[in-house]
Amino acid sequence: MNAYLLSLLVFSPLLGILMVALMPKNEERTIKQFGFFGTLPPLFLSFFLCSQHYSGVALSSFNIKLDWIRFGNLEMYDPKLFTVNFELGLDGLSLIFILLTTIISSLAAMASIYIKQGWKGYYLLFLILEIGMLGVFTAENLILFFIFFEMTLIPAFFLIGRWGFLEREKASYHFLIYNGIGSAILLVAILILFARTGTTNIAALTQMMTMGGVSLFAPISSSMKYGLCLAFVIAFAIKLPVFPFHSWMVRVHAEAPPAIVMIHAGVLLKIGAYGIIRFGMGIFPEQYKSLAFGIVLMGVISFLYGALLALVQTDFKLVLAYSSISHMGIVMMGLGALNEAGLQGAIFQVISHGLIAAMLFFLVGALTERSGTVMLPKLGGLAKSMPVFSGFMLACGLASLGLPGMSGFISEFMVFLGLFKSQPVLAAISVIGLVLTAVYILRAVMLMTFGKNDSLVEKEKLDLEGWEFIPALVLLGLILLIGVFPNLLGGPLQGTIEAMMLALGGR
Amino acid sequence: MTGVPLSAYLVLALVLFCIGLYGALTKRNAVIVLISIELMLNAANINLVAFSKLGVTPSITGQVFSLFTITIAAAEAAVGLAILMSLYRNRKTVNVDEMDIMKH
Amino acid sequence: MMENAWLIPIFPLVAFLVLLLVGGRLRERGAYIGIIFTLASFMLSLLTLMERFSAPTYKKTLEWLTLGGTQLTAGFEINQLNALMLVIVSLVSLLVQIYSLGYMKGEGRFSTFYAYLGFFTFAMLGLVMAPNLVQLYFFWELVGVGSFLLIGFYFYKQEAKAAAKKAFIMTRIGDVGLLIGIILLFWETGSFEYGEIFQAVQSGVISDGSLTLIAILIFVGAVGKSGQFPLHTWLPDAMEGPTPVSALIHAATMVAAGVYLVATMFPLFLASEAAMQAVAITGGFTAIFAASIASVQKDVKRVLAYSTISQLGFMMLALGTAGYVAGVFHLMTHAFFKALLFLAAGSVIHAIHTQDIERMGGLWARLKWTGPLFLVGTLAISGFPLLSGFFSKDEILMAAWTNGNYFLFILAVITSFLTAFYMFRLFFMIFAGESRRQAKQVKESPAIMLLPMLVLGVLAVISGYIQTPWFGTFLGEWLVEGNETVLGAAHSEGPAWVMILAVSVALAGILLAYMKYARTKLPREGLVKENSTLYRVLENKYYMDEIYYFTIVQMIKGISLFLSYMERFIIGGLISTVTGSIEGMGKIGSKLQSGQVQQYGMIAFLGLAVLLVIFALTGGYLR
Repeated sequence: MNAYLLSLLVFSPLLGILMVALMPKNEERTIKQFGFFGTLPPLFLSFFLCSQHYSGVALSSFNIKLDWIRFGNLEMYDPKLFTVNFELGLDGLSLIFILLTTIISSLAAMASIYIKQGWKGYYLLFLILEIGMLGVFTAENLILFFIFFEMTLIPAFFLIGRWGFLEREKASYHFLIYNGIGSAILLVAILILFARTGTTNIAALTQMMTMGGVSLFAPISSSMKYGLCLAFVIAFAIKLPVFPFHSWMVRVHAEAPPAIVMIHAGVLLKIGAYGIIRFGMGIFPEQYKSLAFGIVLMGVISFLYGALLALVQTDFKLVLAYSSISHMGIVMMGLGALNEAGLQGAIFQVISHGLIAAMLFFLVGALTERSGTVMLPKLGGLAKSMPVFSGFMLACGLASLGLPGMSGFISEFMVFLGLFKSQPVLAAISVIGLVLTAVYILRAVMLMTFGKNDSLVEKEKLDLEGWEFIPALVLLGLILLIGVFPNLLGGPLQGTIEAMMLALGGR
Repeated sequence: MTGVPLSAYLVLALVLFCIGLYGALTKRNAVIVLISIELMLNAANINLVAFSKLGVTPSITGQVFSLFTITIAAAEAAVGLAILMSLYRNRKTVNVDEMDIMKH
Repeated sequence: MMENAWLIPIFPLVAFLVLLLVGGRLRERGAYIGIIFTLASFMLSLLTLMERFSAPTYKKTLEWLTLGGTQLTAGFEINQLNALMLVIVSLVSLLVQIYSLGYMKGEGRFSTFYAYLGFFTFAMLGLVMAPNLVQLYFFWELVGVGSFLLIGFYFYKQEAKAAAKKAFIMTRIGDVGLLIGIILLFWETGSFEYGEIFQAVQSGVISDGSLTLIAILIFVGAVGKSGQFPLHTWLPDAMEGPTPVSALIHAATMVAAGVYLVATMFPLFLASEAAMQAVAITGGFTAIFAASIASVQKDVKRVLAYSTISQLGFMMLALGTAGYVAGVFHLMTHAFFKALLFLAAGSVIHAIHTQDIERMGGLWARLKWTGPLFLVGTLAISGFPLLSGFFSKDEILMAAWTNGNYFLFILAVITSFLTAFYMFRLFFMIFAGESRRQAKQVKESPAIMLLPMLVLGVLAVISGYIQTPWFGTFLGEWLVEGNETVLGAAHSEGPAWVMILAVSVALAGILLAYMKYARTKLPREGLVKENSTLYRVLENKYYMDEIYYFTIVQMIKGISLFLSYMERFIIGGLISTVTGSIEGMGKIGSKLQSGQVQQYGMIAFLGLAVLLVIFALTGGYLR
């Protein structure tokens, strides 16, 4: 049972796909229900996995490995050479990401109630997207990773391009082009590795690269390792995104339907961080170490640049978009700190920002539904007409600016703790960003909720109601939970982080 | 029959193939293009038969293979001519230059 | 009791949560939930303090966050300072909540107000109980949020909105300094726990340079929170919040957190001469700086706000001149008399619905309770003999004198004079002279508001007697118990003329104010003309807001705008290059799709030929 659990988890949205596919396309209510129910099996399976983990079952017992593709006839040297297996695996890091994926997917499926047309295609693509995301975080080899990675790209392209706002087509093309470039770089790097070593298994590659193991065909020179490491880092930095590769993401944030941005900002961007940790840092620790300064620099620039630009935006979605860039800068800073505090902080930041961004965009969706706009100059005084909404918005904004008791604080604290150890000068420069973050978030949130209400007509039942409390409360609850009991999240990560640190050479 | 060296067959096949290729790439009449393709196929057949008789390890496989090729060539010619016929009915031309409606 | 002390902050938290969830339905009854829970907190704090008199320091921690090999802990600690602070905070919070029952009557969002108060009380109590720096920082920010929420309580008012934002951001600047200080301290000492840090400091493992840097960074946090120069500008604006909030947060408790922080980290500061100097000079300068502004302000709450800044400066001055006991003592007495003054001012505002002191006057006869209580507070803050402020201020002056810092001593004496002057100016302008309004409309506040003021009035009188040069220095001895070597003497002995000097300058200040504002013997415009440059500079608070606006704010706005243009043109250009080139390639590709099968065949054949040539030349793989 255990061996198939993971495949079951990854492909369980297929059930929902089947159900939605069998519905006639104008059954709005049923399709939406089925679409939402389709996200439940992976949710429960991931909870089950998590409970197994906490009850002491080793995560590696869920790994699965099946023969899949074989290139050439090289059995005489090594039966494993040039084979690609279907192998899924789990460790603390992927478990966390899977939980993030399933939770946000379910909530985003719920928030997709605001979708106005084409429900059937929407939910089909949505569920395919979920399969892709789950696959990305469980894939044990690079080829499989790449396949799942591309599998997230295509549905996201259509979801943005068809169900988004006014300039949706342009946004989706930008999304595709940038991610395509990232994928191309990634693919080249993967293929070079495969051709040179005959394997794409991450663990095997890590072994080979760190132990300086000889590969059969062509030994990889150290400059080539640098090149590959850099290729991985850049491919995923585009995905993350960091300055100067960020503009596609701004468009996507502004134009995609809010439910998709929940997924996009909540999970898809995080694949970038996951990739850097797994491939850049994991496979090439030596080379990664010497790139660290550049990574931190990129992070600091993104952090400050995003914060400064968020300060002058008039569209709340753009504020959030630049805030995402800024927060992803923190992730890069943590990843470049090369110590436990930094790495753990970066992972915390990834999760924390995933939850916060998902919540903020859920609220954006709810507001768009009511007011039709999230342009800051047109809003104001929402605290009067929508007190509960404003409360959530404020809480979420505070979480985003790193208020203690919420998840953002833990991650920022750890990142800066780590960074001050390894790069004190850059760290000292970047703390300005902490103040700027407070400024832009308060500016945006207060422009919306405080002040006089002369924008929105007094409508009946303007505030959040019914099911809308579920996503808001669940996300806020998780944000608070991580903020108050960080070890809940830190626990599963310990093993992964220690292994990484060992490879990076101790502290 | 002995005395004709392998290279002679190969040169013949080469010449046939080149003529076929030239015809297939330059002639405007679709019928001639089809005939040229047949020429190329037959050049390949000559190679197959020649190697099956005079190769390093002679065996019957080459001849069997050429039988397959002939059959397939016949089928292909039939299909090709049929397409050509219907194209002609629609467009009143057998000129390959004008058959470009599937571009882009 | 001490092992249950963790419940003290939990009670207000529960009140906060309950009010948040069901507050809407409870309406005004929600207030009682807040009051009852805070009362429970206060009782428990009192019991804890009682027990702490005899029992040793109690500390309990749990694992909170694992960071590689380091365990960060969370928990609580009850030492002398904490126990004292717990009682002050919970008492003032309780009194303010009772007072608000009357003051906020008729407010639609009654339960929200009490929820916020509960949240603030929770955070403040958590702050003073924190056993390590991370937890301190944790609650340090939370009190900031509590303050933010309460300042912005009237969210529809533009001023309140701006003030709340300003308060949060200005204190955030300080907080960042504190955060860096904490982080650097961790890398120097390997711990966030107070005890281990102090041990490391005393064993001298930290170099002098970094010690000073860390101490000053931590002090920056205190500067932000306690409204010290140059981060003080938020505190006067924070008066946009409801008056009880000003009494609780911006007079008695939160703004004192900076002083508390320096007091808690006292051993660290002591180890660095330069840091102590910085604290003392900042404090001394802020004291006289704010006092000078307070002397010309016309809004009753703003006068009190600047007075708070000035008094906090006093406390910093005391700590900076090694007067640990003096600083903490003044923190305590100030909490009582300043809370009293704010509540009394609130009572006046409640009665006549204005904050402009030029539109007040002659209220002594009308406000039979508020007037005397205000007078008690004013006397106490002015350092009038035998009231609490007299003893604590005396202690500070002694500390500055014995420390040998004569310049700061003189500053402090001048500030005492100014304090007495502006406080009595305020008092006389409100209560003396002609009534400037229809007296009939003016009604004394209800008993529910007067009762808390009465309690505070009593405390403002008697709380000084726990530390006097005559009846014993009980507080000081208790505070430094077991730590005499670090925290210094329980009482600074100094020449008797210091006290006499302090009293005489206070009396002189009162006299001057009396002459100018009560008897109008001296023209009000006597010393400083209303249109003189000095007056305008003072009235505009030394143009600090404007300076910040035109330098920092405009600069950041400029950079942001510049970057957004850069984003649009340079990054945008980059994007169009990328998308353009990809589109261009697509166009070229589609040109190739001519539909000419023979062309395709030709190209394919040529490609094959090229490959074959390459193969023939290289003989196999590319190397």
